[in-house]
Amino acid sequence: MMSPQELDELEKRVTLLEDIQEIENLQKMYGYYFDTAMYQEVIDLFSENTESVEITDHGVFRGKEGVNRMYAGMVGMKRPGWMFFEVMQSQGVVNVAPDGRTAKGRWYTPSFECRPFGGTKKQTWQFGVYDNEYVKESGKWYFKKLHWNITYWTSFERGFLKVPKLSDTPFPHADAPATAYHPYPSGYHVPFPFKHPVTGEY
Amino acid sequence: MATLEGLQARIQRLDDIKQIERLQRIYGYYRDYEEWEKVVDLFSDNAESVEECDYGVYKGKAGVRRYYIDLLKGGKDAKPRPGYMSIGMQIQGVVTVDPDGKNARGRWYGFFVEARPTLGLHEGELRQLWAHGIYENEYVKENGKWMIKKLHFFLNFRTPYEDGWLKTPVVGHNGPSPEVPPDAPPTTWRPYPFGYHFPVHFKHPITGK
Amino acid sequence: MNLEELEKQVRLAEDIQEIEHLQRTYGYYFDNNMWAEIVDLFSEEQTESVEIADHGVFYGKKGIRRIYWDMFAGGGTPRQSPAWMQFIVMQIGGVVDVSPDGKSARGRWQTWLCEAKPYGAYPRAEWLHGYYENKYVKENGRWLFSKLHWNNTFCSPVEDGWLNLPLMGWMPLPDADEPPSAFHPYPDFRNNVPYHYKHPITGK
Repeated sequence: MMSPQELDELEKRVTLLEDIQEIENLQKMYGYYFDTAMYQEVIDLFSENTESVEITDHGVFRGKEGVNRMYAGMVGMKRPGWMFFEVMQSQGVVNVAPDGRTAKGRWYTPSFECRPFGGTKKQTWQFGVYDNEYVKESGKWYFKKLHWNITYWTSFERGFLKVPKLSDTPFPHADAPATAYHPYPSGYHVPFPFKHPVTGEY
Repeated sequence: MATLEGLQARIQRLDDIKQIERLQRIYGYYRDYEEWEKVVDLFSDNAESVEECDYGVYKGKAGVRRYYIDLLKGGKDAKPRPGYMSIGMQIQGVVTVDPDGKNARGRWYGFFVEARPTLGLHEGELRQLWAHGIYENEYVKENGKWMIKKLHFFLNFRTPYEDGWLKTPVVGHNGPSPEVPPDAPPTTWRPYPFGYHFPVHFKHPITGK
Repeated sequence: MNLEELEKQVRLAEDIQEIEHLQRTYGYYFDNNMWAEIVDLFSEEQTESVEIADHGVFYGKKGIRRIYWDMFAGGGTPRQSPAWMQFIVMQIGGVVDVSPDGKSARGRWQTWLCEAKPYGAYPRAEWLHGYYENKYVKENGRWLFSKLHWNNTFCSPVEDGWLNLPLMGWMPLPDADEPPSAFHPYPDFRNNVPYHYKHPITGK
């Protein structure tokens, strides 16, 4: 006959596993929604208490209101067929805080794209690193802070070594300038949100 | 208050997701090495179909066999072609298991680096290609094991290494094979730059839609 | 099912999750040149070997230090890699299996790489692909690496691609304990890296 404490202990462990699975799903679904131009669905993944969203050098957009300003302009907009984004969400390392209410995640995003650039259509490679935070509210996980650090955005033809960044892309309507814009070849390493799995140090 | 049965159900679901991720990744690894018989054996005997790119729909386990062995392999006794390569990385899997715990669906990106002929599946000189597409698959649990029930790969682009998707979105696809014909025509052949978004199977985690 | 059996199931799920994290963390450390941290991911006592591309097989924790500290980290000298030198080794698609006693595990992974390295005087950008067949051990409740084997499929300049130039500038190391065990890059890459697992359905 098991004690309530033993069951409780086990439940905590199961909940943690579920949390990690759910956050990984959240991040991957973000990717699929973004790529299929489902921007309202993207916005709905963010908490009402979102801290900020910061993508490459677009600048910092604060709060849920900032999320709306970031993505809402794209909701319902028809994309021409030649314009596409495939931003693959890969290699997620998700850590949930001991209180089970917040979490951090690091991801890589190798990407294929084709978008307008200087009046032409341009096929491009992109690579970036997510340093994200998540929050659990009413039993569901949401994005609390999305931060996408760009490594490179280059033309298919030239490659990242020759042309690491096609151009700068600051958004004039941001709340603040980008906090960490260091594309290749700056040698910048996005700091880790997780401790060393063995030594326990940062 | 947690119950033993409740916890058991929750851990079972987590285990199911991990098993299906494992199954799909193993599919990718067998496919990389052209081990077509092993690929066929990952499908349920009650498999519904397999459909990739513009080859058409191959129905049932018999159709699965025809697709992978007769068409892709080139015949039961065909030997792999030297220099042929199609490595398909299975990325970003989102797996959802039905409440009954017996059926599931998964969406994956497939990112391919290839050296293969473009005149046809087996004829012509080898060319180096990039390819990308989306899997929306169905899985079924039989006798405690998860298997593939339906595999549907939607091709986004298959482009020469030198050109890129904008310049040359698709090479090497000439429709269903007349030698190993499908059971039904392709249902979703709308590669880049159609602008078609292959629908996601999962409900929104927040709004539930 | 009783509590003990349920606890075993939970532990297995945790083990797989932790090993996936371990492998992905290895990737992130590698890309950020954090060699000391990588050395600390390997077991002191139970590390068998490390084998990367055609550098050869290096035994034990001593081998780990030889590869990651002496070679990659330049022996810990304060020299900095130039900022344009880049390794991105994406860790993709792990198939992780834990032994029934829960003390060891094996994992097969795929890696897609985007690198910029010096060749002679010039930086070159390359695409690489490789497979891992790795082993892990559980010590004091934590998972660590006990064997790392990275097999290189191709290493090609971005300008050329794998069909034209599959292999560029790898090198066997003279002090390896053993020559490379399975280095057959494209076009002979097929079946080089045997699966650690049996077929999920047929069991063969």
